[in-house]
Amino acid sequence: MAADSPTSVRKVVVHLRATGDAPILKQSKFKIAGTDKFAKVIEFLRRQLHRETLFVYVNSAFSPNPDELVVDLYNNFGFDGKLVVNYACSMAWG
Amino acid sequence: MDLKEAVKDKIPWDGTLPLNEFSLSASTFSDKWKMFNHSFPPWLWNPCPKHHLNSSHKVEGYLSLENVCLVKSCEEEKNHGSLSWKEESNISQAEEPFDHATLVCPEFEANHYDFHIVYSPSYRVPVLYFRSYYSDGQPLPLGEIEKDLPGHSAELLLESKWTFITQEEHPYLNRPWYKLHPCGTRDWMKLLLSDTYTSSNKNFIEQYLVSWFSVVGQVVGLKISLEMLNIEEKKLFETTASDIFE
Repeated sequence: MAADSPTSVRKVVVHLRATGDAPILKQSKFKIAGTDKFAKVIEFLRRQLHRETLFVYVNSAFSPNPDELVVDLYNNFGFDGKLVVNYACSMAWG
Repeated sequence: MDLKEAVKDKIPWDGTLPLNEFSLSASTFSDKWKMFNHSFPPWLWNPCPKHHLNSSHKVEGYLSLENVCLVKSCEEEKNHGSLSWKEESNISQAEEPFDHATLVCPEFEANHYDFHIVYSPSYRVPVLYFRSYYSDGQPLPLGEIEKDLPGHSAELLLESKWTFITQEEHPYLNRPWYKLHPCGTRDWMKLLLSDTYTSSNKNFIEQYLVSWFSVVGQVVGLKISLEMLNIEEKKLFETTASDIFE
């Protein structure tokens, strides 16, 4: 897919979309290295929203494991050049 | 009748899985697991004799994934705060096929885990039960299990002692098992799937357990492969995704 420059680190555009009563970010799109883990996206959201517990999910289908690589998620579920990541402030447990 | 169906489709979905759809969703889940998670043993369906008073449904049972072996890896623990899982059962059998009575002293200490997915009729959602034991069969105390859990779960366990993981009676085995609390399940399932919900969508029912496990598995360090979320689904979601952007 990215045959143009295999040596350089491929960047993925992540679009962060608030759902429910979660606050909307000033900047909702940002670039992240495809080799980064999804944990980095979660960590970014936690810092931006000052929340420890967030529910983060992709494509209205599943919640990615933090160990998953961003590029793998993009290749499987990216669309239109972006990976849409939804977040809500609800807690999954307790 | 058409009107009834139409009205049904308009009612917002409450995030639950109907009891009579549980076995269908479970078989889709275990089929996909078998296809795409080769490093793990398969999830097996265990039919159970009806013992509840309301026995209108045909099949009752639960899914089980047993003897998953956790190998403690200090390096990985330091790096990510998570642990790696390995299936052990085949290895020892292959090496010593005829002598089952040998006392094996492993170089590493491995904790064994059994996982069950049981339907909760009161919450109307699937619930994860698990138990763990040392190689000698002795059960692990919760304090030890805590060390095996991914970092975020261990933190949560400290914060919400009574609403996250607690020991309860297994509904079918009547023995004490650990259980992940299902009170929030329907809320996050609603977040995950309500965009795709229509009461007549069979695909949606089938997908339920896969989506559910993507969340639940993270708690205990079990990962589903991305292929389990099939291409058909992806196509279905593409239209939803494109609507978001202006």
